[in-house]
Amino acid sequence: MTDRQLLVGPFNRVEGDLEIRLDIRDGQVAAAYANSPLFRGFEMMLLGKDPRDALTLTPRICGICSVSQSAAAALALGAAGGHAMAPQGALAAAILHGVENLADHVTHFNLFFMPDFARPAYAGRAWHDRAVARFTAMEGSAARVTAEARARLMHISGLLGGKWPHTLAIQPGGVTKTPDARDRVRILATLRAFRRYLEEALFDAPVEAFAALETVDQLDAWEGGDAALFFRIARDLGLEKIGQGPRRYMSFGAYPLPDGPGFSRGLWQNGATGPVDPALIVEDLSHAWMLGDTAHPTQGATVPDEDMRDPAYSWCKAPRLGGAVVEVGALARQVVDGHPLALALAAEGSVRARIAGRLLEIARTQILLEGWAAALDPEARFMDPAPTLRDGQGAGLVEAARGSLGHWLRVEKGRIAGYQIIAPTTWNFSPRDAGGTPGPVEAALVGAKVGAGEETPLSVQHIVRSFDPCMVCTVH
Amino acid sequence: MSQIETFYDVMRRQGITRRSFMKYCSLTASALGLGPAFVPKIAHAMETKPRTPVIWVHGLECTCCSESFIRSAHPLAKDVVLSMISLDYDDTLMAAAGHAAEEAMRDTIEKYKGNYILAVEGNPPLNEDGMFCISGGKPFVEKLKYAAKDAKAIISWGACASYGCVQAAKPNPTRATPVHKVITDKPIIKVPGCPPIAEVMTGVITYMLTFDRLPELDRQGRPAMFYGQRIHDKCYRRPHFDAGQFVEEWDDENARKGYCLYKMGCKGPTTYNACSTVRWNEGTSFPIQSGHGCIGCSEDGFWDQGSFYNRVTDLTQFGVEKNADQVGLAAAGVVGTGIAAHAAISALKSAQRKTQDTRSREEA
Repeated sequence: MTDRQLLVGPFNRVEGDLEIRLDIRDGQVAAAYANSPLFRGFEMMLLGKDPRDALTLTPRICGICSVSQSAAAALALGAAGGHAMAPQGALAAAILHGVENLADHVTHFNLFFMPDFARPAYAGRAWHDRAVARFTAMEGSAARVTAEARARLMHISGLLGGKWPHTLAIQPGGVTKTPDARDRVRILATLRAFRRYLEEALFDAPVEAFAALETVDQLDAWEGGDAALFFRIARDLGLEKIGQGPRRYMSFGAYPLPDGPGFSRGLWQNGATGPVDPALIVEDLSHAWMLGDTAHPTQGATVPDEDMRDPAYSWCKAPRLGGAVVEVGALARQVVDGHPLALALAAEGSVRARIAGRLLEIARTQILLEGWAAALDPEARFMDPAPTLRDGQGAGLVEAARGSLGHWLRVEKGRIAGYQIIAPTTWNFSPRDAGGTPGPVEAALVGAKVGAGEETPLSVQHIVRSFDPCMVCTVH
Repeated sequence: MSQIETFYDVMRRQGITRRSFMKYCSLTASALGLGPAFVPKIAHAMETKPRTPVIWVHGLECTCCSESFIRSAHPLAKDVVLSMISLDYDDTLMAAAGHAAEEAMRDTIEKYKGNYILAVEGNPPLNEDGMFCISGGKPFVEKLKYAAKDAKAIISWGACASYGCVQAAKPNPTRATPVHKVITDKPIIKVPGCPPIAEVMTGVITYMLTFDRLPELDRQGRPAMFYGQRIHDKCYRRPHFDAGQFVEEWDDENARKGYCLYKMGCKGPTTYNACSTVRWNEGTSFPIQSGHGCIGCSEDGFWDQGSFYNRVTDLTQFGVEKNADQVGLAAAGVVGTGIAAHAAISALKSAQRKTQDTRSREEA
């Protein structure tokens, strides 16, 4: 018997709009339904267009992870034509992408996630004053320092991509920009400055020290920076016990480079990592306002159901891998990559684990980026131009900040004949499938405590934001 | 509105020094194309005028305008977003959520009735009674109308709010509609681009707050100070265009030499924006500098003009295959004045591509 229903939303401090319906029983969430209320129809607009236009159109799905969309489109076009990027072009693309993911992670932590702990409801907790000073929305000291550090980091996006957001430089054959020796020095200097920010504000220690953590005990003992403030809050509020995901983690492998991805590809379940087979992906439409059958994205279509019939409750399709729900994101990537700390947190799969996974990835991405920038060779070719694509089919599978992003493309007679996109938040915020199995966030919310008078329950806010939803990508 | 503090009060509260404040005033003056004499005027206005409240709403969009905005050049410009104009209501950055957020918006509207600026990012989709963009349980178009009713003026941020942008690309599945086609009884300033340049956004908003009026607009309703220049005319690769030196293929020898990208589909010749002067990411670069052509994202309909990689128009009649003197003469004819150049290009466009007739006629 449901005691009451709650409609939580609009959420704010997420990218795009989100609404969640909650059934409350005995002071906790009994069932949750995630609704992505924003639909634009990119997959419909792409049909009939010049395949290259996907490079300009798809990044505009999202203003915060446009480089991810751009990288996926370039890879899909390359795959369809059997064409690969020039090695140095792939390296420059990895730098552009890594910078965006890094910027997204620090934005999420400082501007989207932490401000909830500055809420008056937590007044009196030992850490509250500190949280207010650092993270009050739009005013906290951390917000300002982060906005500034992030803007400076994105000089790299400017240098290599001309502008950010909606960078145009990444192409199937590489990147349009050939960085010269001076650019390389500027990129390295910019990364050094960002390292200083991380080592002063976020970790108060070398990033290598955080990346070297191996156990949950070591994590609990971490003392530096805003990261330590979070772990202190997490212990006090029991964030290691709430928001448990499906504990099945997928990664398409981040940053494809000639000698393998920066973070590896795979599927972690039941305590072991194995290969991931994208052929097993389907999108289930039973609870989406979409017409058509369950299909692999190469066969899929996007036909919105204008009658918005029941039992559907979202514009979001429900992607499943081999029929199962999977979680994607920084934690998933670090687990699949086999980092000891992430593996130690994999079974926990909680709000704390997700944030720790993201902090871990911040430290590791900073280190990767420095290595890549040092390896830039201004004398090499950065583009091996792809021939005109007449017919072909291909997939571009990348890792955006929030998780696995796939573009599936079919070209016939020089025009786009099919284009399907599954974004990270499509996985994490998927509605139920035909079997009634809820998506990751829907399941993670079950059991969350809801106080008697709470209209926007804090536990729900923490759980939802721990996934770092990007709702504009979700439905696109 | 004497109970509202001044801009300077707000800035002081944020711990901003007098020195930084004066620097901000002089940077703003130069960004707006105003002489040094205007610096004390801006400073005086900011010290004495009550700050103008701003409500920032998001419709069908990708949040790229906000992303651009919080990356503005001068450190104080960050304080423009984070404190100075004190966004009284903003979906992406504010603390409140759910009903509290709805109330915050209602309160702000009540409190500042007729005095606030409504900043709109994204646009309303009108198909299916607006059901493709639901905010707080209602179609965004209703929220937009509600917030617009008591606004002093409206800023349409970006190509979405100004023109529709890519989400309005054929077949425009949701009937994404620019703001000025829904709100017809308020002054609207369009700040197009996908996204607009951060400095342009802060410049426009500072001008409106300081002088309490809209800046001078061009025929399309864009602030002339930022959209009066053609990318092509201020492009650092322009000499190569005039000399007939073009990139023929990505990363070819000519690309390495920084030749003109016109043959790679650059829309610089038909695009009015400040990219080639103000540049992006704190003045670091702009798309042409990264070796990729301009896609014309500050122009109406840029998303449905054939491929982004098609040439604007065939300019061979300008004599690029002839000798440099002839080329120079032909080119000089084009750039005689901004208006002449604009007219020439528009004429060419309509001659070459009949599909575009309406707008070209307007411009010519």
